[in-house]
Amino acid sequence: MKFDLLNNRRKAGDIPLLICVFLMACFGCLMIYSASSYTAEVLYGDSLYFVKKQIIGVILGTIAMIAMSFLPYEKLAKVRIPLVAIACLLLVAVFIPGIGVSNYGATRWIGFGSFTVQPSEIAKYSFALFAAGYFSKNYKKVKTFKGIFPVLAVGMLICVLIIAEPNMSITMCVGLLMLGLIFLSGTSLKTFALMLVPFALAVPLLIILEPYRLQRLSAFIEPWASPKGEGYQLIQSLYALGNGGFFGTGLFNSTQKYRFLPFAESDFILAIMGEELGFLGLLIFFAFCLFIILRGIKIARNCKDRFGFLLASGFTLVYGIQVAINALVVSGAIPPTGLPLPLISSGNTSLIITMASMGVLFNVSRSN
Amino acid sequence: MSLAITFIFCVILARLLYVQVAWGAELKLKAVDQWNREIPVIAARGRILDRNGKVIAGNINTYSVFLRPSAVDNVDRTTEIIGELFNVDRNYLSEKINAGKISEITVARQQNKETVEKLVKFNLPGVYYARDNMRNYAYGDALCQVIGFTASDGTGVSGIEKFYDGLLGGTNGEITYSTDIVGIQTEKSKIVYQEAVAGCDIKLTIDMDIQLAAENAMKSVYNSSSAKSVSCIVLDPQNFDVLAMVNYPSYNLNEVPRNDSELLNSLSRNGLVSNIYEPGSTFKVITAAANIQEHIDGNPNAFSNSYVFNGSRSRTVDGTKIKCWSDHSNGKHSNQTLADALNNSCNPCFSDIALALGGKTFYEYLYKFGFGNVTGLDFNGEALGMLVPSTAIRDCDLARIGFGQTVAVTGIQLACAVAAAVNGGNYYAPRLLKSVSSPNGGNVEENAVIFKNKAIGTKASEILAEMLEGVVKDGSGKHAYIDGYRVGGKTGTAQKYEDGRVAQGKYVSSFVGFFPANKPQYLALVIVDEPQGTYYGSAVAAPVAKEIFEDIILLKNIKRFV
Repeated sequence: MKFDLLNNRRKAGDIPLLICVFLMACFGCLMIYSASSYTAEVLYGDSLYFVKKQIIGVILGTIAMIAMSFLPYEKLAKVRIPLVAIACLLLVAVFIPGIGVSNYGATRWIGFGSFTVQPSEIAKYSFALFAAGYFSKNYKKVKTFKGIFPVLAVGMLICVLIIAEPNMSITMCVGLLMLGLIFLSGTSLKTFALMLVPFALAVPLLIILEPYRLQRLSAFIEPWASPKGEGYQLIQSLYALGNGGFFGTGLFNSTQKYRFLPFAESDFILAIMGEELGFLGLLIFFAFCLFIILRGIKIARNCKDRFGFLLASGFTLVYGIQVAINALVVSGAIPPTGLPLPLISSGNTSLIITMASMGVLFNVSRSN
Repeated sequence: MSLAITFIFCVILARLLYVQVAWGAELKLKAVDQWNREIPVIAARGRILDRNGKVIAGNINTYSVFLRPSAVDNVDRTTEIIGELFNVDRNYLSEKINAGKISEITVARQQNKETVEKLVKFNLPGVYYARDNMRNYAYGDALCQVIGFTASDGTGVSGIEKFYDGLLGGTNGEITYSTDIVGIQTEKSKIVYQEAVAGCDIKLTIDMDIQLAAENAMKSVYNSSSAKSVSCIVLDPQNFDVLAMVNYPSYNLNEVPRNDSELLNSLSRNGLVSNIYEPGSTFKVITAAANIQEHIDGNPNAFSNSYVFNGSRSRTVDGTKIKCWSDHSNGKHSNQTLADALNNSCNPCFSDIALALGGKTFYEYLYKFGFGNVTGLDFNGEALGMLVPSTAIRDCDLARIGFGQTVAVTGIQLACAVAAAVNGGNYYAPRLLKSVSSPNGGNVEENAVIFKNKAIGTKASEILAEMLEGVVKDGSGKHAYIDGYRVGGKTGTAQKYEDGRVAQGKYVSSFVGFFPANKPQYLALVIVDEPQGTYYGSAVAAPVAKEIFEDIILLKNIKRFV
């Protein structure tokens, strides 16, 4: 009877969360259709090219979400080490010629036929799981630097592997996630502060290693200095938002989707949403995002065991960090990086895993 | 925790509110630029007509065909059809299409309507056409330096096409439509059409019949005399309308030699306006005019019309000896009155006049006759001529200017000066533009005749005209004589100078004539530059003027004056 929703031991769980996640994924399909139909028609001769892929993602994601809803989350603690190991291996595999797939100057995917997977998406969640598992098991040691070191080490390893792809934004995401989880683990402030030092050092180092980041930074500060080069992406994103104004141009009425805005169906879909639905639409959209996050926090708080608390917090953090960074990038508040808007952007790895993580959240909610 | 998260979302929303609402309008304005494409609608260029409405410069509607590689769906089919229709190499086209990078290829220009209509039937994606105007010059090389030509974009580059570009050019319109990033029209595109405003038709003072007659006469003298160049102005002496203006050699306006800029520069130059030359004896008309008027006005230094000039061949002025072209032997150039001096074109007599009037008075007449200044013809690049400054004038210069040396003029200057001398003394601004009609043809605005000044009085002018009639009847201009038509005129033969020295064997032979002498209707100045063999203006240039006048008499059906 372990997989029974009506199991006495467990409560009904946070059904509104699942519904909200599912609706959001469906809304994502709609927005992807609007943002990509023209480009898809021109490039692939099929206006539904991206939508079809996404619908498969929604189906698989829903299955994964339901499956995770039934799987007692405690069992995940046991697979934390193999999972994080697999994630790291997959990250390494990206660099193996023949397996790794390059796109837009970065090697971020591994290919299985026509289907590609982005290991960094898996790594984020594996890491959250690993850290939650480790901290709950070693909660007595977390006050010391030595106690948090394994999490720090695995986190750093993943960061290094992802930055090598390169993928700055997911690295940032994992870094922030690590900080968040360590903070939530109940470590002492002193240890936490000590740990921040290498982070502070990492930023200039990353810029020196990859000078293009500096260009991105300057393009961010003055995008119109290179409207055809580094500044292009940001300018186009701002044009889309500006065109939308307060009320938007109406669904399907984006102009920027006519191939002016690159990645309109993926990392910059929020710009198209802003264009078509206006500020008002984004306001409502963020209300739903906030709903998911606040639900996640509530689930974590109400969880009686440490692992469930950290796992729910971690998964909620991953979602929240991504939404925040994506929104800041699209609105030109921080330099452009390639990070999907979870549950909305085209890209199945992210979608399926995010939905699965929400299933886990639901499962945690049931144990409260 | 929840508060912190809510705060972050507030920051994001604040940023979005700023971008979308506060900054939105400005961003949108910038974005509109990249969303729209414009196709220019070329305004029809105004036509250039002669005074009788004959079209000199008109338009043929042609089309340019363009190709946007990014919008081409089937490269093979497209290149096959286009290659055949416009005779373009298929491989070249497909290479260009496949090379990418190029957003637009110009396939062909100046295609006729039929070919483009065929193209339209194929309805090929990525293939566009736009109307452009090809200028058509009905008379080919006639009047070419005056009319000038246009650049491939239709703007005037030289001549009238340039001078009146503002009137002829019109205002181009535009078709604006929204496209995707590579210029493909989007399905929701709104098309905004801004109509082109056609240019005005302009009517010149030129009479194409007279122009063609003059062209023919000048071509034959160019060939028979093996001259370096020949030119001719026909003027209406009553208002200084330019009736004909010939510079030869010339070029065909429909086949402008654009590739040879040096050749084009020399052939497209309107020498009658831009080149200066030493007029020689034709200038004596002005000296005579000054003397007659001064004598009427009671200037004691002026010679009366019955005064007999000193018959000596030479005058010594400022220690230099100034000689007549004739040796004065065997009683030639003896006992001459002013009329005789004009008949014989005797140099020393005119030196006497210039010296007797003195620099100040003589120069006043030169200025009144328009020398030392532009005539104000509506044409670019008019030369000033060369006149020794009145303050620096020496007697030996003055003595030479009296018979047309040590002075350089443009053809238009001399023609206008002589016209003023014989038309009753009225100097007008010469003009090429007669009237302008608005694009729809309704409104016609006449270009007013501009009277500039009185050069001499009516009486002096009448006396002079009569004397010049005598020159043609009995004197050096007799090769221009037409029985019954009272032609007057004066010949001129000037030696050319190169690097400050007389260039041996190089002459400018000219004749300025008009008829009828009592009320001149037509004035012609014929200039033959460096004729080979016979070089006297009386022998080379006067017969050409006669030929032109005879043609005019036939064309205008002018009755004999008895």
